[in-house]
Amino acid sequence: MKHLLILLIMTSSFALAAQPNGVAKTVKKTFSRETTVAINIKADPAIIWALLTNASDFPRWNSTIVSIGGNIRLGEKIMLKSTLDEKRTFKIKVKEMDIEKRMVWGDGQGNRVFTIINKRGSDGYCTVDMTEKMGGLMFPMYAGMIPPFDESFEHFARDLKNEAEIIQKGQK
Amino acid sequence: MNEQSFNEAYENCRPQLKSYILRMTTSLPETEDILQETYLKAHNNLDSFKGDSTIKTWMFTIASNLARDFLKDKKRWPENAPDIFKEAALSDQAFFGEQMQIRATSPHGNFEMKEHISLCFTCVSKSLPLEQQLVLLLKEVHGFKVKEIAAIIANTEAMVKYYLHVGRTKMEDVFDHRCSLINKKGVCHQCTELNGIFNPKQNAQEELVKIEMARDAEKKDKEALFDLRTKIVTDLDPFNSGASDLQLHHLQHNNEVMKKYLKEK
Repeated sequence: MKHLLILLIMTSSFALAAQPNGVAKTVKKTFSRETTVAINIKADPAIIWALLTNASDFPRWNSTIVSIGGNIRLGEKIMLKSTLDEKRTFKIKVKEMDIEKRMVWGDGQGNRVFTIINKRGSDGYCTVDMTEKMGGLMFPMYAGMIPPFDESFEHFARDLKNEAEIIQKGQK
Repeated sequence: MNEQSFNEAYENCRPQLKSYILRMTTSLPETEDILQETYLKAHNNLDSFKGDSTIKTWMFTIASNLARDFLKDKKRWPENAPDIFKEAALSDQAFFGEQMQIRATSPHGNFEMKEHISLCFTCVSKSLPLEQQLVLLLKEVHGFKVKEIAAIIANTEAMVKYYLHVGRTKMEDVFDHRCSLINKKGVCHQCTELNGIFNPKQNAQEELVKIEMARDAEKKDKEALFDLRTKIVTDLDPFNSGASDLQLHHLQHNNEVMKKYLKEK
């Protein structure tokens, strides 16, 4: 029984982890929805982190962002307009920041987690994962009004990879 | 390193150092102060110079730290700073009178479009965040390598590359949208307008042909045109050129105008 439980936990963990191929995956449940994308990027984590935390520069490289206001600093609020719904401004709080490793943004509906796994020592890549989980008891009431994130997540991953690798190549 | 070697090394890099500080501060008195302080700091700490870098890199490190301290609490300039300066100059008869006087009497009072391009570059670079401006000037104008800049600003090479890329991209876009020398739809014509005022007998088109960046504007992309622009800036010593008196007076005026503008804002 104990072994079966461990196997179940492992299976469910593998189901949620995305391959670093830039293809988004969404898992829908009655009370939650989780979209994740992961991608390998041949760049220093400092460059990826700088791109992810410099709000005023976001619209330049990130085609999924219309505008972003505020500073991406721990505890601060940012106002974000996304191409998913250009008329709406999302007020999001920066909840966690572990420099060059992990950042969590969120509001009452859910959290978006950015993770940078530095594998540059072994194969020269970082793996960047972005996961957004929304949910709650009221989630089924408004779930149908929230557009799918997959395409937007894939654009984001592609843009981030493109920009970070251009900068990494840079000048000597 | 003995005192004589140090003084020789300082004198060798002094013109570049002074131009760098001027482009950071856009203020003549501050440039003189920071330059003097750089010399004193370097001289007084000569024992701590171990030769891990060149003396030039070491001097630029000291100057960069002093310039940063001076600028850290000051607001950055807006991208359209040249428009603000133009409006202020047009309503300031005294400024034009002084400019004409310099033009007529100073051996360094000629007006050349290249010199105005250099002045414009300095003003637009002030719209970048401080670290981006610093890195951009060190790399594009003063020719330091990424590794050397990382040592100067005490940051990683990755962050130097990031600042450089973002700063360059922003400057390229500003010039691509604004500068009529490289874009027919560009909104800023100040080079040719001022040339008409200071050199009324000159044909502006003939003068523009002499500037590679303007001549090749339609053939080259904005990155290549930015490289040609930085070459103009690199080749000019703002303290010792045919138009240095005129341009320094202009820059000081711009600096005062912007101080007032930012204070009122």
